[in-house]
Amino acid sequence: MDFGIREDDQLIVDTMTAFAAEQLRPALRAAEAAHAVAPEVRASFGDLGFEDLDMPEAAGGAGLGMLTRVLANISLARADAGAAIGLDRVGPALYVLKAFGGDEAVKRFARPVLDTPGARVALIVEGEDRNVAAGGRISGHAAWIPTDRADMIVGLSPAGAWMLEGGANLTAVRGAGLQAAGASRIEFDGPAAAAWTDPKAAARALARVRVCIAALIVGVLEDATQFSRAYAQERVAFGQPIAHHQGLAFLIVDMFTAVEQARLLVENAARRIEAGDDAVQEAAAAFVEAVEASRFVGPNGVQILGGHGFMRDFPMEKAMRDCRALGLLAGGLHRAQDDAASLAWATADAFEEA
Amino acid sequence: MELKLSPQLREQVEEAREWGRAEVRPAGLEADRNAAPLPPEHPYFRKFVDSGRASARAQAAETPEGRMVRAVVLGEESAYWDRGMGVATPGAGFPAGSVNATGTPEQKERFLGPFRELKDPHWASFALTEPGGGSDTAAFRTRATKTDRGYVLNGAKCFIGNAVRADWILVQATLDPSLGRAGQRSFFVEKGTPGLTGMKVEKKMGLRAYESVSFVLQDCEVPAENLLGGEDREARAPRAPGSGTGAYGATMGALNSARVGVAASALGIARAALDEAGQFAKASGSLKHPRVRDALERSLRKLRAARLATLKAGWLLDVRRTNVIESSMAKILAAESAQEAASLGMEIVGLEAGAGDTLIEKLFRDAKALNIVEGTGQIQRVIIARQLVGLPR
Repeated sequence: MDFGIREDDQLIVDTMTAFAAEQLRPALRAAEAAHAVAPEVRASFGDLGFEDLDMPEAAGGAGLGMLTRVLANISLARADAGAAIGLDRVGPALYVLKAFGGDEAVKRFARPVLDTPGARVALIVEGEDRNVAAGGRISGHAAWIPTDRADMIVGLSPAGAWMLEGGANLTAVRGAGLQAAGASRIEFDGPAAAAWTDPKAAARALARVRVCIAALIVGVLEDATQFSRAYAQERVAFGQPIAHHQGLAFLIVDMFTAVEQARLLVENAARRIEAGDDAVQEAAAAFVEAVEASRFVGPNGVQILGGHGFMRDFPMEKAMRDCRALGLLAGGLHRAQDDAASLAWATADAFEEA
Repeated sequence: MELKLSPQLREQVEEAREWGRAEVRPAGLEADRNAAPLPPEHPYFRKFVDSGRASARAQAAETPEGRMVRAVVLGEESAYWDRGMGVATPGAGFPAGSVNATGTPEQKERFLGPFRELKDPHWASFALTEPGGGSDTAAFRTRATKTDRGYVLNGAKCFIGNAVRADWILVQATLDPSLGRAGQRSFFVEKGTPGLTGMKVEKKMGLRAYESVSFVLQDCEVPAENLLGGEDREARAPRAPGSGTGAYGATMGALNSARVGVAASALGIARAALDEAGQFAKASGSLKHPRVRDALERSLRKLRAARLATLKAGWLLDVRRTNVIESSMAKILAAESAQEAASLGMEIVGLEAGAGDTLIEKLFRDAKALNIVEGTGQIQRVIIARQLVGLPR
């Protein structure tokens, strides 16, 4: 049994954390206002070699596993989850391509996107099945996706997946959160460059998407708890730091505990995925836990700062919006609850962790 | 992150599971129905000793997992079948940790030796809690006064497990109240020592399978060699940084792993409650209702998170890293998980649970204790808050 972080992963975490602190954090509000990560920040991220972290080696990537992706997402989201999405240009769509078409599909479709400067993949997670064959026409829209560009669109429905190369019409929207990633309404219409029907692969793909997003939520929440804790130790009211009033001390403890629960479930789901499991239930439960934690921690982080929390001088209001917006991705909370609950009764015993 | 259980530990869990199903669960239900612990001469204890489990326990068979992780996994399994019977298990139990950690070689031989190869059921006991102080261990009033021959103890203890049937009780008392925690020591008080008096077995809401005892120490004199660690312990014992000093430090050190142990027990109760609730919901068809299904999913998810937190706290201990925050978090999560799972189970089983003679109703009563013993959920939050925000003592 080992809850430690692998040595190689620790190096990545350290580098990502330093990058996030030096380049993302100071530009938090600027990136939000611009609805984009600054080109020089994007360039230095590319220089670090992190763009193809979990892309399979067969597609010219580093071939690292889901736990590494989770740690990377947490590290970046601790500074700015919107920027983390913006910098991950293929994003969780990688796992959709992989689930349906294997390394070959990743190499064929995702690699060229990464090789085109600034190009991005948009992932649309749909709640309804779509019957579509390769070459068949795909059209639809989504009111919000966290991107300003869609060179390729990957759709994931409960029954299968599809892909469009082009044919997207994006209109900029304000966005509730994650603005550094860009925020657009998307309309798409065109012939499917690829289409797959395979509900099992769809469930497997969605599990991976959920873990990626849940990790971003955990990152936002870790920063929110640390920030509000530090504030509560400095801010004095009634003669002592507000953190020493038990009402707030216990709240802070409960916030940290909620984030730890979410992190444990997310890491465990990632571990199962690395081990080759579908991990559909585990990933869904991890996503639900992360979203529940975000609904507790986000607003309470603002609460601890009081009036200051409401003001944009501090990053807490942004954390509250960002983590709430993240929970809307990957098909949202209620679908995850369905998947978590319908598969929950496989086993509850001590052997399940093995 | 690697959480696979070794084949050796899996085998031990399987073995515990068979024993639990065949022996522990029925014994626990019997004690609950009788509203009293099984008497020491009950066939269960004889069978336990004859099965060699007592000696196996004393000479814990190692597995590739660390000791605490193994204790968590086996502790959950044991509590799944009956947490009260787990506490009632013959052996040196809880005080063994303190004696092993700080006892003199002579004390280890004299007090733990007889437990190594038990031929008949025997118990030992650990007495910390007092009527006026539970979690506030630094405020205990039981006094120890040095005499020519040893020490005289005066005070009262309560909620002490297995104290009536114990061969000896390790009693916490203060030699010098002005020193606060540093003045506290532990003393072996043997059965039948004059002045060890007023033994009363409490009547409890749940966990009825083991004795919770209150007693009085009235000019109770013990020889000098019964002072845990001996009189020159301070000079001899190396001090771990931040571990505090004296018996208080030893106690809090032990409690640090004890919290993980209690969390493991809570996991067992939570799992038992969820199994009961889940089986009932499936059989009755109520699992189809989204409200029932979602409530069960949430409860199961909380159990799984609590289990990971508990294993992590145990793992940290095994690799000798500080686990103060993690062990308290595990204790909070596991205890609340057990309480909520059992309460949800009552709801799902419904009026049948209300009738009182079902396992889920027993678990509902049992589970509450886990959020109280070894530091209440509130005390755990105080401990964590001290670490996180420097909450003043």
